Amino acid sequence: MTRQIFMNRLRNGLAGLPPKAIDDIAADYETHFADGAAAGRSEAEVAEALGDPDRLARELRAEAGLKRWEAERNPSAAASAVFAVLGLGAIDVLVLLPILLPIAGVLLAFFMIAVALFTAGAVGMVAGPFWVLGAPVAAVVLIGLGTMALSTCLGSITAIVTIGFMNALVWYGRLHLRLLKPALEPQGMSA
Amino acid sequence: MVEPVQVQLKKGVLELCVLALLSRGDAYGYEIASRLAKGIEMGEGTVYPLMRRMQADGLVDTYLKESTAGPPRKYYKLTAPGRASFAAQKSEWSSFSAAVNAILDGGQ
Repeated sequence: MTRQIFMNRLRNGLAGLPPKAIDDIAADYETHFADGAAAGRSEAEVAEALGDPDRLARELRAEAGLKRWEAERNPSAAASAVFAVLGLGAIDVLVLLPILLPIAGVLLAFFMIAVALFTAGAVGMVAGPFWVLGAPVAAVVLIGLGTMALSTCLGSITAIVTIGFMNALVWYGRLHLRLLKPALEPQGMSA
Repeated sequence: MVEPVQVQLKKGVLELCVLALLSRGDAYGYEIASRLAKGIEMGEGTVYPLMRRMQADGLVDTYLKESTAGPPRKYYKLTAPGRASFAAQKSEWSSFSAAVNAILDGGQ
């Protein structure tokens, strides 16, 4: 494999990371090729010694995804962490999917129920007094407010469970990062 | 896809080896990679993901230094937490390997 082919495969594998991170990583390997040439090794020898660029890219992406979730807890970071873990290995994912999908589905359903309840509460509070003629206005408004509070509470609990679920997933991903999180490293040493 | 025990063992001590190399002096990527590859027969490419993670964990820091030929080189050096981690991991490794050796040598 030539330097050009190695670098192309590495860059393709890293697609999706911030451009600066890709450039940084690529620069490391470019320098490595240059140093190898200075030491009298051919491009093919250096590429052979470096290992499989696709696998290196997968491990680099996975670590970046997990790090991002640890730094910023938001849906986009969660998505990139999930994809990073999924990218690690097809076998593990097949085992994991039947567990992952139902949990994700249930969580999504709870979020939708929370949003629907909140909307219903808001509509009831504002429009209720006009629809339900004769009903005490205060009671209708309070019922609307109560529904909104209940849905907010439901939404918050779902969010907490989702974050816990994501943390479990990241933990699972780390277990499987054989290259970057060596198996012999004691839990929590570098946390 | 079960990896041979030997590969797992090597990967496990890779970080410790990098910490040990850097404790004796700053080094650039190619130096670290070729030193490790010679000593424990690791893929040289593995070093760069490892260095990135160790930098993100605050164990090592980088700086640029002029080289005799070509553009400035990126050097790695240990940080204070890196030094502390090296001391801790080294003593842990010593007692662990001593225990394993004692069992392998068949005392009782």
